Amino acid sequence: MTDWIKDKNRTLFAGGKKSFADASRVASECGHFTEDCEDELYCDDEISCYNCRYRRWTAGSFECMKR
Amino acid sequence: MNLFVCIDDTDNYDSIGTGELLENMMGEAAVKGLARAGFTVRYQLYIHDDIPYTSHNSSMCCAAQTDDRASFTSFCGKYLEENSAEGSDPGLCILTDDPALDYSVLIEFGKRAQSEVLTKEQAYETARKFGSELNLSEHGGTGGGVIGALAGVALRAGKEEGRIKGKLQPLANKTEWTLSEFATVFGVQRFVDGEGIDITEDLTISFVHPTKLIYSKGLITGVIVNENGRLMPKPKIKKNKEKKQ
Repeated sequence: MTDWIKDKNRTLFAGGKKSFADASRVASECGHFTEDCEDELYCDDEISCYNCRYRRWTAGSFECMKR
Repeated sequence: MNLFVCIDDTDNYDSIGTGELLENMMGEAAVKGLARAGFTVRYQLYIHDDIPYTSHNSSMCCAAQTDDRASFTSFCGKYLEENSAEGSDPGLCILTDDPALDYSVLIEFGKRAQSEVLTKEQAYETARKFGSELNLSEHGGTGGGVIGALAGVALRAGKEEGRIKGKLQPLANKTEWTLSEFATVFGVQRFVDGEGIDITEDLTISFVHPTKLIYSKGLITGVIVNENGRLMPKPKIKKNKEKKQ
């Protein structure tokens, strides 16, 4: 499956908010991953899009601000 | 005088977060002798495409004590103007913490901010009802942060549940604790189980993972869970583990 969905000018993660393995894999392959502040970490994986400073949460998933 | 202090929309993707800026601001206020800060509570506000938040639309509110509200308020405004990130829309809200005040209109605003899109005009309309007990001000950009800042003090004044900023770390030389010991050492006022039910028995727990406290019913609250037969403070993050179970 593709990891991303184009929505107008936004790039949304296709896995929603519970695809922990995919979010970890994508972040591991990404040169932009930067851990967000401790209070905003979402999951246990040290490297995950869900914990990245550049993810912007949406109602059903998140937008990557570096794509 | 006791106060609630909240700032919002102060960051961008490359700056420190709003919670850290709040701590820095309150630290500098303390150094200047203007105020002393209590703990900070994080509230999740509404996630919606029409709201211009940076990444998570959370609001951070701390308690404070001051003898000179005017000077403290002026300091906070200037601090935000000098330290907020480029492109941000900082807002500041300072509210009197007084049990004699009726916060019901304000609390309604805060709860609405968690489930619908609100405007600056609605924020100011609500704020005006509190006269000199509430300061709401813009400090750059669109000033849209006043909405989240007002919501933050509203939810805090209403004793609504939120996460307390920061975490507790286990001690190297002590893993087994009674709840009464834990409460004394870490300032916890109440314990609940994973379902939110109060724990009144002085249970023995294992404190081996970092944990976060919550603010619930106006009390600093620890959540105790059963992990493979061991009672312990709820580990800091659980979401992906829950998924795998």
